[in-house]
Amino acid sequence: MRRYYLSKLCQALVTISLVVLVVFALLRFMPTTGYFSKEEYREMDEVARNAYLRSLGVLDPTLVQLKNFLAKLFRGDLGRSMTLYPKSRIQDILRDKIKYSVMFNAFSWVVSAVIGMPLGIAMAKNKGGFVDSAGTAYVVAVRSIPSIIIHFFVQVYLSKWLGLPMLFKMNQPASWILPTISLSLGSIAGYAIWLRRYIVDEENKDYIKFARVKGFSQNYIMVRHVFRNAIVPIAINFPSDLLMLISGSLVIEGLYSIPGMGGILIKSIQAMDNNLVQILVLLFSTLSVFGVFLGDIFVSFVDPRIKLQDKED
Amino acid sequence: MREKVLQADDVEIKFSLRGKILTAVRGASIDLYQGETLAIVGESGCGKSVFVKSFLGVLDKNGWVSRGRILLDGVDISKYKTEKEWLRIRGKKIAMVFQDPMTSLNPVKTVGEQIREVISWHFGTDKESSRRETIELLRQVGIDNAEIRYKQYPHEFSGGMRQRVVIASAIACRPKILICDEPTTALDVTVQAQILDLIKRLQKDLDMSVIYITHDLGVVANVADRVAVMYAGQIIEYGLSREIFRNPQHPYTQALLASLPQLGVRGRELESIKGSPPNLYKEIKGDAFAPRNPYAMKIDYELEPPFFKVTDTHYAKTWLLHEKARAYAREISQQRAKRAGAPPEALEDPTRNEVLVSVRNLTVNFKLGRREFSAVKDVSFDIHRGETFSLVGESGSGKTTVGKAIMKICHTSAGDIFYKGKKINRRLSNRELTEFRRQVQMIFQDPMASLNERAKVDYIISEGLYNFKLFKNEEERRRKVAEAMHSVGLLDEYATRFPHEFSGGQRQRIGIARSLVVEPELIIADEPISALDVSIRAQVLNLLNELKKEKGLTYLFIAHDLSVVRYISDRIAVMYKGRIVELAGSDELFARPLHPYTRALLQAVPVPDPDVEREKQVIVYDPRLHDYSVDKPYWAEVAPGHYVWANRQEVANYKALLDA
Amino acid sequence: MESHDVASYQDLPDDLFTRAEFREELVEDTGFSNYSYWQSTIRTFFKSTVVKVTVALVLVLVTFTFAFPYISNADPYKVSLSSKEWNLPPSREHPFGTDGVGRDIWARVWYGTRTSFLLALVVAVLEVGIGVIVGAVWGYYRKLDTLMFGIYNTITNIPSTIYLVIIAYIMKPSIVTIIIALVSSGWISEARWFRNKILALREADYNVASTCLKTPVNRIVSRNIVPHIMSLIIMDAALTIPSSIGSEVFLSFIGLGIPAEMVTLGNLVNQGRSAFLVYPFQMIFPTAILCVITVSFYIIGNKFADASDPRNHV
Repeated sequence: MRRYYLSKLCQALVTISLVVLVVFALLRFMPTTGYFSKEEYREMDEVARNAYLRSLGVLDPTLVQLKNFLAKLFRGDLGRSMTLYPKSRIQDILRDKIKYSVMFNAFSWVVSAVIGMPLGIAMAKNKGGFVDSAGTAYVVAVRSIPSIIIHFFVQVYLSKWLGLPMLFKMNQPASWILPTISLSLGSIAGYAIWLRRYIVDEENKDYIKFARVKGFSQNYIMVRHVFRNAIVPIAINFPSDLLMLISGSLVIEGLYSIPGMGGILIKSIQAMDNNLVQILVLLFSTLSVFGVFLGDIFVSFVDPRIKLQDKED
Repeated sequence: MREKVLQADDVEIKFSLRGKILTAVRGASIDLYQGETLAIVGESGCGKSVFVKSFLGVLDKNGWVSRGRILLDGVDISKYKTEKEWLRIRGKKIAMVFQDPMTSLNPVKTVGEQIREVISWHFGTDKESSRRETIELLRQVGIDNAEIRYKQYPHEFSGGMRQRVVIASAIACRPKILICDEPTTALDVTVQAQILDLIKRLQKDLDMSVIYITHDLGVVANVADRVAVMYAGQIIEYGLSREIFRNPQHPYTQALLASLPQLGVRGRELESIKGSPPNLYKEIKGDAFAPRNPYAMKIDYELEPPFFKVTDTHYAKTWLLHEKARAYAREISQQRAKRAGAPPEALEDPTRNEVLVSVRNLTVNFKLGRREFSAVKDVSFDIHRGETFSLVGESGSGKTTVGKAIMKICHTSAGDIFYKGKKINRRLSNRELTEFRRQVQMIFQDPMASLNERAKVDYIISEGLYNFKLFKNEEERRRKVAEAMHSVGLLDEYATRFPHEFSGGQRQRIGIARSLVVEPELIIADEPISALDVSIRAQVLNLLNELKKEKGLTYLFIAHDLSVVRYISDRIAVMYKGRIVELAGSDELFARPLHPYTRALLQAVPVPDPDVEREKQVIVYDPRLHDYSVDKPYWAEVAPGHYVWANRQEVANYKALLDA
Repeated sequence: MESHDVASYQDLPDDLFTRAEFREELVEDTGFSNYSYWQSTIRTFFKSTVVKVTVALVLVLVTFTFAFPYISNADPYKVSLSSKEWNLPPSREHPFGTDGVGRDIWARVWYGTRTSFLLALVVAVLEVGIGVIVGAVWGYYRKLDTLMFGIYNTITNIPSTIYLVIIAYIMKPSIVTIIIALVSSGWISEARWFRNKILALREADYNVASTCLKTPVNRIVSRNIVPHIMSLIIMDAALTIPSSIGSEVFLSFIGLGIPAEMVTLGNLVNQGRSAFLVYPFQMIFPTAILCVITVSFYIIGNKFADASDPRNHV
């Protein structure tokens, strides 16, 4: 068992290092002109420009930069933003933003689980019936129409119909409702459709048919056997979901002007704020890779078969 | 007569499949008496499973009982609509065991929990006492260390053990009727014998009535008091077990019994049933078996026969029993008797021919994760030209791996394989490999998986012709394909069709034609009949024998069923856990089996004869009975051509046994 | 199973109780079914009304979109200098109205649909094509597993916006840039998906049979593998189209899309959005067309996947 966790852990570490390395290398391909605004570029002469670039540290050989980056990281220093929020400490920037994203994602996670799972169960139980068709129509709509369009209409029309504020204010809880709804729409569809599929798969298995001939009622079978087994492949994502709470939705935070994490990555790339980009990539990929890792471990507790595989190793 | 516990009258079951209506059961009736074992025998698709599922109200959602009644305790349960009504019956009065124990248990719950919940659910027993009851049940079905096993998960159990657990959970509520749907088909023969024994014992202890659903007449002979034969959705004959086996009346029952390879005599052609069971989408007129019955009368095509009485307990649904058919019936039975009495062809001894394949000290290791294990250990044998050499063993014995190694589709770890004196388990040059591939061909177990679904039969059969460029022009290719199809009894016009249009037996013959067309010399047949319906097996075996004679082929026949192998093989090697434990001529091996495993295997195979089966004792082979700590085993020839894996002491014993 | 009354069968003609002719073709016919994979797939597919409607819709839209430049001379780029022509509501002359600089939205929608369609189609073909080829090689050579899983983990863990921005830096923002950006982040998932499918197929007995017959690899691929994954390829391509169109809208939203001067559905939707509160039709029309396309392809892809599964055939 320990070997199983160790090998998974090693895989995770290798992946993170690769991701960081690749991104680090890619960033060095960018032309240095990106570090200046147009006016700055025109005003500075070659010497001044070089002096500025050197002060940013981007003229050092790539390996040296990598070494500096890693060395700082080990001291727990995330460094400072270079161009997007000049000279601010990255720790401070992130600390400000993360709380908003975590808050909304947590709301939406609860909402989508509370609505999406019962919907999926209802669809599976009512297979081919009205609830199933209506649910499927909802899923199709949410998954095929570009999300921006959906979020935009939610913002414009729901705010009108429900009389809710269109923009976010921290001290006005009513303004939290619409972003939460928007954020939840997609994951409700995800929970519903996957749970429905897993339940239907599970119901076709022999041991469920066997449970029927043993004389259990449909409800008992659904609760004690089907649901418990169908939830496993969904639960494998829970740790990831939890860790990724910090990543904001670019579109939704943009529409409601929420000062969260959404968009910071793109903005930092566009601003060629290398330090910030590196930290963000490291952060996101670490969280997502560890989310998968924790999911594996989590499932190994739920599903006894995984331990066996390890024994045979 | 004992008390009748269940009575099904004229049950018709329909399914709707995408707008079409299919009649799976066309008016079947059975009675079940207290404490008896009734076997319903039939081929796949005859409706036997569907029929019994209606006793529990667990038909698939698109199926319904459209006619007839099913009486249990005087109530017609086929009229039940709600789940509540069915819950009074399922598990409590009627319980069922499924075919595959690997999938019948919830993989993420402990086995104890899965039995315990049945007891709690039905009787509302509290946790502790239902737990104790469960452990008692586990002991009752023969599971040792029940306390510990209670907490284990299904994957920690072997197939046979899982089936015991399944049975324990089925009988947890002391049902009056236990339905077993092919309960041992997925298990090895030695395990099968133990499970059949267990069910018999439980039946006696709990005074249950048991319905067996099976296609295996050997199992029927072993367990059944009465037998009902089902064909194309109808019961066509029923009677006491001895009556059915000794004095079958319906042409289908007769043909089925006559075609069993288990009862075949080497050198004599099996009586085979042509064609395949009918497609239930089509309307069936008259006797459903008529088109496949070479002795069918005109009336069989016109009118469905009623049941005629043979004895008080034996009825058959065939016009042959009509008084106007008496003369004709006598004529047929005389013809049959004459053919059955014909002396078998004299067999040559192929071991005098040159050696075609020689396997020497073959070992194949596989890696499973970080551990390595030997699927084949130090195996040696020769196959002579013109011989049918069989490798027999249960799952995990390594028999298929040996076949694959000779076929060069599996690596070898040690030892040599020679084909025509040339070592082939090394890297061959392209020319050598081409020549080898052309001469050695393979026939697969599962005809559903071994044909490319998206290619026409014409291409499938031509594949080898293209690869080895065995034709000069298109016309010659077509002629060769047609010849190959003829030789396996397929019609020309099938060439333009796709494999999924054919039944299992036809597909298997297409597979054989694909191998034959390149004119091979050695054919490796990996369980070529075990996936086929009983009525089809004789067809394929006859075909293989015929082709062998005609084309001078040599076969390596791989099988798990000793009784089938006896009919077809010249020599048989028995494998156990990667090693050949005994090798002898077919008749010699059956007459004088020496190795305890061979004996256990022979004893375990159910023979389609109720008298033999009744007397039988199950032998369990325990490898610990060999003491190889000092006296090491070796490959010993105890009689000419009869080899055993044994140590000095055992060899001496065997020799004494042979002399006695 | 009580006594059976056979008295009523006494007066059958004697002639019926003689041997009937044995007919070979009847015998073989008993097990024969008339089944063809593609026919059943197509039939099952078109049985659904939703499918009939969406396929018809897509056909009409595609035909009209590509025929539009030839049947109409409405110019999607023509700017009007007169403010009277600006932000006009739908009328006879301008069925979808005009935008803030007097450009005809009707013409813009159809030209935009064409661009988006082409973009989505090219992305679908490239992504699925590369996916199939790489997936096939990967599935056949197990030794590639370590390498390919490394690549897979790396690529899927790098936010795709990074490629987009970097590629946008290297090349000018254009359709080609977008295509490369989308394909470069999407191909590996496709490859992995096909790898799993091909791995399962590879082990199938009929492929072992081909190995035993020494069938050359190219024919194994063309005869044994490709026909089996054809339905998967079609389905996958159909599902890639709505997601590519969606990505284009997203890219346009974050300002990394195709230059605003060009008409694409993404640009039209985002331009319409800014004027939505005052002139809703400027956004509604392009959005409606876009939704019809994405929803239709999504439905077609999924329904085709269902129909191509033999378990759903009769």
